[in-house]
Amino acid sequence: MKILSIISLLALSATLAHSAPDRAVTVKTTVNGMVCSFCAQGILAHFKKHPAVSNVHVDLTRKLVLLEERKGKTITDNEITEYIRKSGFEPLKVERVKESFEQAKTD
Amino acid sequence: MKILPISLLLAATAAAHPVAFEGAYQLMFGTSGSVQNLEFYRSYSARAAWGLHSMRFEGDDDEIFTGLQHNWLLKRWNLPSAQANVYAGLGAGLAGEVGNGVSPAGIGFFRADYETRRVYTAFDAKWIDSADVSRGVFSAAAGIAPYKADFDQLNTWLILQAEHATGMEDKLDIIPKVRFFKGPYFLELGSTLSGKPVVNFMVHF
Repeated sequence: MKILSIISLLALSATLAHSAPDRAVTVKTTVNGMVCSFCAQGILAHFKKHPAVSNVHVDLTRKLVLLEERKGKTITDNEITEYIRKSGFEPLKVERVKESFEQAKTD
Repeated sequence: MKILPISLLLAATAAAHPVAFEGAYQLMFGTSGSVQNLEFYRSYSARAAWGLHSMRFEGDDDEIFTGLQHNWLLKRWNLPSAQANVYAGLGAGLAGEVGNGVSPAGIGFFRADYETRRVYTAFDAKWIDSADVSRGVFSAAAGIAPYKADFDQLNTWLILQAEHATGMEDKLDIIPKVRFFKGPYFLELGSTLSGKPVVNFMVHF
């Protein structure tokens, strides 16, 4: 019975881990080459068209592109990498953080 | 006066942004010294664009070129705090003295630039050749930004440009200018030392 409970708990955890989160997730991408806002307009143009993205912010000082995902929707790391490259830049690292989009903007 | 309407339509060589982001349209026009320029391109990837290019050279007999052009981003260095680019382009069209007919013409350009958030340098060369028109336009520019603007802020640059167009009255134009950009809009205002206005405008959409 104890083993059955543990298996059930593990199954439930796995299901929760793979389902889309019910809160907005913030995605931070470190990007090289972003020194000019006029040249980086493609980043805004591309991500604004993605149905899973509700907010985009480009931080030239920290070399970051911040995305806010819509609740229950996800943009994949591959899509992020592809969009940054289509905009003419080189993505270095994509990470999903616990901070809200607004907190991440002001860090 | 006959030059004015076309001057208002036509952009400068040293402000050119030959390839933008994938899917972008870019419109560039303006006047720089004795050369006016109009370019409209579609970037079908982040490394290539094609479109229309028109140039006018003011002189005793004004000369004009209009044609289709393909641009390539040959190399880009995306560095942690800088970006450097090498571009080239080739085109074909018609050129001639205004009012005296036209003949087939070719155009080619080479451009290299390096930029940080505070420093800008660029070298640009263009060649146009036809039976009646043979011109080269060469420019070098360097600039500084008095402050580091954030992505959403107005960017301001102070730029000094030297420009030479072969066969023109002035051997070398020295052009101090101020560059502003915000969002997808870009504007340069300046003047040659001999008082000719310099105006360049670009937009991406």
